[in-house]
Amino acid sequence: MNNFIDYKLIELGQWAVGLFNDYPVVQILVHLLLATLPLALAFMAAFGFSTWLERKGLARIQNRPGPNRVGIFGLLQPLADGIKMLLKEDIVPDRSDKLFHLLAPVMLMVPAFIAIGFLPLGDGLMSLPLDSAILFFFAVGSLNTIAVFMAGWSSRNKYSLLGGMRAVAQMISYEIPLVLSAVTVIMIAGSLSAQEIVASQQIESWLASGNLVKEFFGQILGWHIFKPWGFAGFIFFFVAALAEANRSPFDLPEADSEIIAGHLTEYSGFKYAIFFMAEYISAFAISGIAVTLFLGGWSGPVIAGLPWFIIKIFSLFAVMIWIRGTLPRLRVDQLMGYAWKFLLPLAILNIFVAGFYYFSEQQFGGLTTFIGGWIIGFAILQTAAKGLSRLNKSPTINGKRVYQLVE
Amino acid sequence: MTVAFYILAAIAVLGAVMAIALRNVVHAVFSVLLFFSALAGLFILLLAEFIAAVQILVYIGSVGILMLFAIMLTTKVTGDPTHNLLSRGWAWGALVAGALLLAFLVPLITQTQSETISKLSNFNPSVKDLGMILMDPYFASMGVIALLLTAGLIAAVVAASSASEE
Repeated sequence: MNNFIDYKLIELGQWAVGLFNDYPVVQILVHLLLATLPLALAFMAAFGFSTWLERKGLARIQNRPGPNRVGIFGLLQPLADGIKMLLKEDIVPDRSDKLFHLLAPVMLMVPAFIAIGFLPLGDGLMSLPLDSAILFFFAVGSLNTIAVFMAGWSSRNKYSLLGGMRAVAQMISYEIPLVLSAVTVIMIAGSLSAQEIVASQQIESWLASGNLVKEFFGQILGWHIFKPWGFAGFIFFFVAALAEANRSPFDLPEADSEIIAGHLTEYSGFKYAIFFMAEYISAFAISGIAVTLFLGGWSGPVIAGLPWFIIKIFSLFAVMIWIRGTLPRLRVDQLMGYAWKFLLPLAILNIFVAGFYYFSEQQFGGLTTFIGGWIIGFAILQTAAKGLSRLNKSPTINGKRVYQLVE
Repeated sequence: MTVAFYILAAIAVLGAVMAIALRNVVHAVFSVLLFFSALAGLFILLLAEFIAAVQILVYIGSVGILMLFAIMLTTKVTGDPTHNLLSRGWAWGALVAGALLLAFLVPLITQTQSETISKLSNFNPSVKDLGMILMDPYFASMGVIALLLTAGLIAAVVAASSASEE
């Protein structure tokens, strides 16, 4: 195995904890700090870097230079932004619910930081190594909705309230396809533990064979995305994850051109910055769980472990930026219809496809199932998607359009 | 352990009392959520991590949001305090409720033998064991529940889509 970076990090942690063998209480505290603080700091640094990446990426898509004044390539821009946010005046509306207005950013940040603890960053590198990590992740993720509603409601602003309502409706709707597409992986891996799900995506017999080529591909070809149900499941999961993280094209709760930033309207200064940090870290966490479920987690050739996990998370984040620079925002009715009438039936169908794939693999062997499964699975899901989009097609309007407010 | 239990229990009681006493409907819902999260913490103390996760997922993530949703669809969403919550006969209601609770709880507490610590030492519940139990002896009921829930989900989608066409 080649997870040497993970093992070195774990060894380092054990050495640091071992220093305090004579003081049991201090040892527990050091252990807790080592399990949480590096993770929190690393993700905060990643947040800073990703704001730069997003601004730069969007700017390049729109043929602008983007941030380029502070530091080389504008790399220190996040730092400048952070200082600016800290120094800004914190304005609380006069008639707002003061306590909830203060609590909402905190309520959003706490689940985001708990959620990153459930990510398997490497072999054995996990802050909260629970048996039911995946379930806990979705449980903690559902708390985001409450925080966004809290922010929208406590601001006492009609736009904020509209944003909060939109957020609740959207997040409830997309949580179902999100969890249902993850169910396929849980079903095949037979475990809710993140580490075991990663282990199920490595071809054990190839890794132990001693053949270098087989060892190389054994770390890649087992990923669930290379199976028909995994490929479809990844797409459903990623779309639902975009909606859960309030990312474009599903950024309706904070649509600036419709409801002037929704639940964020009445926030300023550092609270606003905390909102942004929590949203980016949630986006990171949910792409991390997508990586764990479908893209093989930390497994990969040559530098398996933490480096591959970081590469995969940032690649998914780059795709999110790319989508934001490309797609326009959805309409509210389209948004709800897409979740309930399109994603949900397909996600349920995908569970059946995964079940059939699993049993035919035991019946006919790996390669036959792989080729046959791709053809049959693709045909089933494609037909279903075509049929659903025909069913859901809105009636076409014939004749001249009548405008009510414009002559 | 004991300190954590008392802190969580105090939070749970506080949340439950506030849920009844607060005049603002939205505040009351959030107190209920506080109560639910303290319960989840108590489940973790009892090594029942699966039930804790389900507690967060179902009660806070779904039931709580359902309550907020219901409030959102009424005029009470502005959060103006309601004045008619506490009627004059509240003391009688509290008396009857307390008496009923004691009538059920006191016999249970006295009958239970506290030999839990020796049992806990070789008790190591895992999600896998729970899954084995649900999938082996209780498979039939699990299947029926799963089928029923899926049917309900599909029925909701069908009902919603046929309503929008009109």
